[in-house]
Amino acid sequence: MPGMNRRLLLTGLAGAGSLAAFRAARAEMDLARATAFIQAAGQELVAAINDPRMDTPARRARVGAVLRRTVDIEGTGRFILGRYARAAAPPEMQEYLRLFDEIIVRNLSARFGEYRGVTFALGRSQQRTEEDALVNTIIQRPNAAPFALDWRVSEIAGQPKVVDVIAEGTSLRLTTRSEYAAVIQRNGGQVSALLAAMRNQIQQLAARERG
Amino acid sequence: MRSVFPAARPLLLGALLLFGACATRPPASDPEAVAEFEQTNDPLEPSNRTMFDVHEAIDRAVLEPVARAYRAVLPQPVRDGVRNALGNLRTPVILLNDLLQGQTERARTTLARFMVNSTIGLAGFIDVAERWGTPGHNEDFGQTLAVWGLGEGPYLFVPVLGPSNPRDLFGFGVDIVASPFTWIGQGVAVDAANWTRVGLTVLDTREALLDPIQDVRNTSLDPYATLRSAYRQRRAFEIQNRDGQAGRTDPAGGPGFGQGVTTPGATPPGR
Repeated sequence: MPGMNRRLLLTGLAGAGSLAAFRAARAEMDLARATAFIQAAGQELVAAINDPRMDTPARRARVGAVLRRTVDIEGTGRFILGRYARAAAPPEMQEYLRLFDEIIVRNLSARFGEYRGVTFALGRSQQRTEEDALVNTIIQRPNAAPFALDWRVSEIAGQPKVVDVIAEGTSLRLTTRSEYAAVIQRNGGQVSALLAAMRNQIQQLAARERG
Repeated sequence: MRSVFPAARPLLLGALLLFGACATRPPASDPEAVAEFEQTNDPLEPSNRTMFDVHEAIDRAVLEPVARAYRAVLPQPVRDGVRNALGNLRTPVILLNDLLQGQTERARTTLARFMVNSTIGLAGFIDVAERWGTPGHNEDFGQTLAVWGLGEGPYLFVPVLGPSNPRDLFGFGVDIVASPFTWIGQGVAVDAANWTRVGLTVLDTREALLDPIQDVRNTSLDPYATLRSAYRQRRAFEIQNRDGQAGRTDPAGGPGFGQGVTTPGATPPGR
């Protein structure tokens, strides 16, 4: 079927083309710079989590500030929404990014108790990929086995930012993308259904934080 | 058919209804949707989701409470010992798959670990080899088939076993047949020992996954989709033998089903 083949080919080329353009827009990430960035950002986060003087809302605000500065929330949010980003109306998109931002912060703040006394150290291997750097860290919580976490760091508008977290080969942004796509698909392709699920999730996380 | 096996027709119909529930493929006019459908590789999604619900019910009712009791009753060193011993019993299968994949260096490691841990390590309870700088790794026939070039096939969710696919399920079966402990000896005592081993393996695996799965249940908008994605990524990681590079490997080496599925921030299986 020549018609379908041509369409598939064009789609593939368009996809590859946009990917190449996307890649070209990002500068190469220097490994030493990425490592230093993760070291500094990690220490800020750990200090915020371990500070005994703050109450939970203040701690959440501080952690939120660090995360907003160090994580590419908008870029990662758009990546996770994937092809539904185009289907979303601009106000929906804004709402989605706002909710996504809050979910990132709440996911961490719901675990403040668990993470009290956490320390981290840079792991043994740091790697360069084509446009990102992969910085390996070991997270140690008291009374729990240490585990390795890889941070994918990319240069966004001249600043290093975290774009992904990988644990034992599982990428968080890929898993989340699968998750959000499933929610949208099971609700007839409506992005609003995803927004409702996200709001619900935030409420649950807030309840767990209090209780 | 009726005289030989009266239940055959309704059973067949039931099986068809259960396993024949296929997801609707998006129309070719929407190439992005088609691409996503193929990338997700879950044409049996409706029946998989049913299986997932069945599994969740069994899990919450039986598996999880027993695993939590196991964790509460037995101290960490004892549970580590159990995990190490189970891993040691898996060595023949791991060794076979190392060799079938042409990984002679890893095969040597496996054999050395078996010899040291079975003797000095008291039948495998103590992972002496790891303390001496030779950590273990896991292999299964599903990984071997992947290395030989066989694609995974559609995603399958099997109750109790967890996320899988036709290739890995087949590999799981082959590993059971290939394990010498399946065949050694007969009699009540041997059967009891084998079933004990199966039970302990399930228990050990579920205990290791208590925190990651709790995490997914708490934070995921669609746990089924999260597990599917995490499992596929983790499996690719295992097949490429990149697991264990953090310097800490799970010595028990389950059959690859869901074990090692982790989410950031949750305690992964291991020491």
